[in-house]
Amino acid sequence: MPTKFDQELDCSGLACPMPILKTKKAIDALQTGQVLKMVATDPGSLPDVQAWTSKTGHELLEHEKDGDKFIFYIKRK
Amino acid sequence: MSDDNGKIVLMCTHGPEDPERATIPFVIATAAQASDIPVLIGFQVNGVMLARKGCPEHVFAAGFPPLKELMDIYIESGGELFVCGPCVQSRKINIEEEFIEGAKVVNAATFAKEISEAANVLVY
Repeated sequence: MPTKFDQELDCSGLACPMPILKTKKAIDALQTGQVLKMVATDPGSLPDVQAWTSKTGHELLEHEKDGDKFIFYIKRK
Repeated sequence: MSDDNGKIVLMCTHGPEDPERATIPFVIATAAQASDIPVLIGFQVNGVMLARKGCPEHVFAAGFPPLKELMDIYIESGGELFVCGPCVQSRKINIEEEFIEGAKVVNAATFAKEISEAANVLVY
């Protein structure tokens, strides 16, 4: 069953650190408990999102890879 | 969530002659800001040239966003730019007329204080 999300952010083609900066902005605009779906193509995206969520306290619910795309579901703390 | 968010100080010692070294401190700094990690950027040696109006617009490192875009995000997010006074003087830079808004000229004691209080200092 696909993960439900409240907002989607496409960071495809963006270079580091822009996916994280845009993710922060998008998460800040959500309510507590809401989920952001973020798509990135930067190969360092997975460790970066994991590091970022561990520092900020937001929860990485799920991540998957679809071709060259990394897809993340992040729940706002 | 980690609670050991000690401040990091990033010393930028290269100017437009080395776009990658000039840009990476701002890559790290903006990611730190987005991660709620306190951060400060200091310019020393030829890094002070990056604080001149019109300079960041011409710095592009392959694989990274333009320096100007990152600097704008850093400053808009409340980031401070400390610029080495003697390095500025030796390059005959007119602080009042040539510096970008937000750049602050400081001397050795200020850098020593910031470095001593930082959890980590990286020199680029």
